[in-house]
Amino acid sequence: MKLFVSLITALSVLFSFSAFSKTILVSTKGPGSGNPFWAAVEQGAKDAAAELGVDLVILSPPQESDVMAQVNQLEDQIAKGVDGIAVAPTDPSAVAPILDEAIAAGIPVVYIDTNGINEGVTFIGTNNINGAKLAADYICGKVPKGSDVAILQGMITQTTGQHRAEGSHKGLTECGLNIVAELPANWDTAQGMSVMEDIITGNPNIKAVFASNDNMALGAWEALESAGMTDVVLVGFDANPDAAASVAAGKMSATVAQFSYNMGKYGVENALKLANGESIPDNIDTGTVLVTKENAADFM
Amino acid sequence: MENKEDTLFIRLIPYIDRYGILLLIAIMLLILHLLQPDVFFSWRNITNIFKQISWQSMLALGVFMVIVTAGIDLSVGSILMLSLMALAIASRAGLPWQIVIFVAPAVGMVCGMINGLGITILRMPHPFIMTLGTLYIFRGVGNLISGGVPIGGFADQLRSIGSGKIRLEWLYGEGATQYIPSSLIIIIIIFFIFWIFLNQTKIGKWIYAIGGNPEAARAAGINVNRILILVYTLCGFLSGIGALILAGRTGSAYPNAGLQSELDAIAAVIIGGASFFGGRGTVLGVFAGVFIMGLLRNGLNLMNVSVFWQQVLIGSIIILAVYIDVLRRQFGTRK
Repeated sequence: MKLFVSLITALSVLFSFSAFSKTILVSTKGPGSGNPFWAAVEQGAKDAAAELGVDLVILSPPQESDVMAQVNQLEDQIAKGVDGIAVAPTDPSAVAPILDEAIAAGIPVVYIDTNGINEGVTFIGTNNINGAKLAADYICGKVPKGSDVAILQGMITQTTGQHRAEGSHKGLTECGLNIVAELPANWDTAQGMSVMEDIITGNPNIKAVFASNDNMALGAWEALESAGMTDVVLVGFDANPDAAASVAAGKMSATVAQFSYNMGKYGVENALKLANGESIPDNIDTGTVLVTKENAADFM
Repeated sequence: MENKEDTLFIRLIPYIDRYGILLLIAIMLLILHLLQPDVFFSWRNITNIFKQISWQSMLALGVFMVIVTAGIDLSVGSILMLSLMALAIASRAGLPWQIVIFVAPAVGMVCGMINGLGITILRMPHPFIMTLGTLYIFRGVGNLISGGVPIGGFADQLRSIGSGKIRLEWLYGEGATQYIPSSLIIIIIIFFIFWIFLNQTKIGKWIYAIGGNPEAARAAGINVNRILILVYTLCGFLSGIGALILAGRTGSAYPNAGLQSELDAIAAVIIGGASFFGGRGTVLGVFAGVFIMGLLRNGLNLMNVSVFWQQVLIGSIIILAVYIDVLRRQFGTRK
């Protein structure tokens, strides 16, 4: 028990706040250690907090599925009294009530990474339409006009899936490519592979594929490789380490990276603006960047 | 418990045995108060703790009864999720809230009864196996009926069970923000009912008897199978109540609801001093066990401590609690 007391005391000293600056809570979906995406969010938040002289509290549930842990953390921090909250909701509807309470209590809230359902709350995250368009434009520059191309869609019931499908469709048609297949593979590697196999069977002349996430792209690569079609331009989305490695090895052609660093950075900046009574736009794009062989090493 | 030896320590053992856990809670409260003097004992924080443990305490109480019979129920988290989804679907179908309110406990009871029947009629070698199976089955069914997506939008009356506030304006004057969460009232009532049931009724005593010595219980003419089915059904019922509270708290039925919460429930029961081999444990102990876990999480959240530390500390407390139990038994056999 003595050890416990001293441990807790040490931790509380470590995390104690100075009395005068504003405190911003950043609540992510998962711990930064073990997930580079959230590590970058945390880093962005830390850098912004250091620059603005803000006291920063970063908390996350042990895993993305632990919705109630996030709700409890938000509740406890609101009770303790923070000045602003930037939250990536594990489940938008489940965290909505506690955030409504925060807003009612005068604590401003912004969403980062994933949009929520509370009205009038600013969303700071990737504009997936623009991101998918970026991938489509890359494909346009790689294959001749009129070529057959395909889109592997994500879960089409989700906003992210819809936006990536929409952006890629728009980009590929605008530069005059011929979309021969647009099929969902539900974000899943195995489904990406089998859907890709079916597309190849029906369209042997296919020149390029956009997969709405990297998992599906990696599955699609397996299908293309075993069909001997390794010259097909394959672009994914998310820039996860496996996909970056695949790009670096010259298998996948490219992937699209989200700037999760900006989510943390803009999250803190804008929560502080609201806490200071300033107004902010409803939607803030954190931007996307194309990952090709040249910069793939940064994402591995 | 009677001791002829006259040393003070030996005479204290029964009291430590019975009230040691309250002492642990008192120490934790004191530490947390010292570390967070402005926040910890605020009305808001204390009510937060009770709100946070409310639905989990229902699972723990159910699992406790099962553990008293020397059984185990791994499916409570999945029962909670399935009950929650059934409630959400009934609500979405436009049924009046007076009916929807019964959906979760009823579905929970049916799930629990399936566990009980499986264990007794199918003669599973251990409840672990039956409820491990239903852990997957119930969550799978919950995902099947909901399509694996969150369902929100419940009637206010329904939500008031988990998120209602009983304002204390009569006590603190007009405009006071202090309130008692309705979920706290509900869990107090339910714990009280089950305390009476387990301690004051014949069936309650049989439940303890089955766990203590099933052969003797059979020899004494107790219908062990019927009692077991009842116990698992009640465990399911309590998981359904947990779902009802959670529905109010989040306003949403989501696919990951109750994921791994069976482990939290078992941990709370063990911390609360129940024996894993059945026949021993108290309702008050269960509440204390749940409360200790809630306190720990709340305190660490307030201090912005990483959840990884929470996992480490909760695990340590489980082992510590059981080790204390081991020591206690050593004293018990030495006399």
